[in-house]
Amino acid sequence: MAVAEDETSGFSRFVTGLGRGVAGALFLALPMLMTMEMWHLGYYMARERLFLLLLLNIPLLVLLAHRIGFENISTWREAVRDAIIAYGIGIVTSLVVLAALGLLRGGMPAAEIVGKTALQSVPASIGAMLGRSQLGHEETDDGKKGTYPGELLLMATGALFLSLNIAPTDEIVVLAYKMTAWHALVVALLSIALMHGFVYAVSFIGGHELSPETPWWHAFVRFTLPGYVVALGICIFTLWIFERLGDSSAVEIMLSVIVLGFPASLGAAAARLIL
Amino acid sequence: MTRSGTGRHRERHDPHWIEWLTGLVSAVLIAGMLSWIGWEAVTRKATPPDLSITVLATEATSAGHRVAFDIYNSATTTAASVTVIGRLTEGDRIVEENQVTFDYVAAESKSTGAILFRNDPAGRDLDIRAAGYTDP
Repeated sequence: MAVAEDETSGFSRFVTGLGRGVAGALFLALPMLMTMEMWHLGYYMARERLFLLLLLNIPLLVLLAHRIGFENISTWREAVRDAIIAYGIGIVTSLVVLAALGLLRGGMPAAEIVGKTALQSVPASIGAMLGRSQLGHEETDDGKKGTYPGELLLMATGALFLSLNIAPTDEIVVLAYKMTAWHALVVALLSIALMHGFVYAVSFIGGHELSPETPWWHAFVRFTLPGYVVALGICIFTLWIFERLGDSSAVEIMLSVIVLGFPASLGAAAARLIL
Repeated sequence: MTRSGTGRHRERHDPHWIEWLTGLVSAVLIAGMLSWIGWEAVTRKATPPDLSITVLATEATSAGHRVAFDIYNSATTTAASVTVIGRLTEGDRIVEENQVTFDYVAAESKSTGAILFRNDPAGRDLDIRAAGYTDP
């Protein structure tokens, strides 16, 4: 009897986990599912770039599962399993929502349906991973040690998430065209200052603090500056993936990257607080 | 390394050297980027859009002919809604006139496009030029 009960509770836990995954995918990916540029990108973006994005999503999900995963994941095998489940939830959720919104129709070429769903499945799968691990958070983080690469990975995830939201929109390019180099300078400095302030100064739950004997610039050099570089790297990557760079000059590209770097760096900081 | 406990994290006082190295490299990258942008801000003068067009190729399509071209903006200001007019003339007579609009031609950047003609441009005079733009 005990065995049977165990199996039932294990099964219901699994179903609950799936439900949380769907909730996370919906919460985090709905803005993108309802963005016009994302539908268009689904069919016109270069297939090799889409393929690269889909491939890179796999190690990201595995690393995320290992770092913040669902129910104390301890082995890489479990992490891979969780990553696959999250990707699956992402694909199914995207497919259902896109179909429900009337964006997928019978007469469409298969390439369009697959492209739209595949593109949306990336943010949706990250959302599913976060939903499964974070929305059902019961245990405390006691004793959980974040490694340095782990912190950088979290920042990259946060930056990627906001970049995926914002990079496809026309506004980024328009803002870069309207701004002068002076504006860009201010935005860059503001991004760095806010990043540092959010994590260290304003005492959010999940915030970071320093030993009294550690000078403030220790954390600034070790975490905030690398975090900003990671965020800018993610911005270059997403702008390139979404073909937003074109044949623009280096200065114009830099301006777009700094504009997108503003939300991306805040996403990076938020990820360190939340995850 | 970061230690977590009771919801807040405390950074270690004695980090691994790799953390300092990463921090140092990042500081150099960011300082480089900021000084580049700063230098641009000081030296770059705003000049109004200056558009020039280079015809790349003329190809036959199933419904006519395609003339592909590059449009280059050599100024430091971006032009929006750039209208490009392509005109085929034979002597004084205009054979065909078509136009295309670019959403943006970024500062010091190039965009590519094409104008489609029903008539063959070969043997006729082809004139493609930018007709106007708005500020973004």
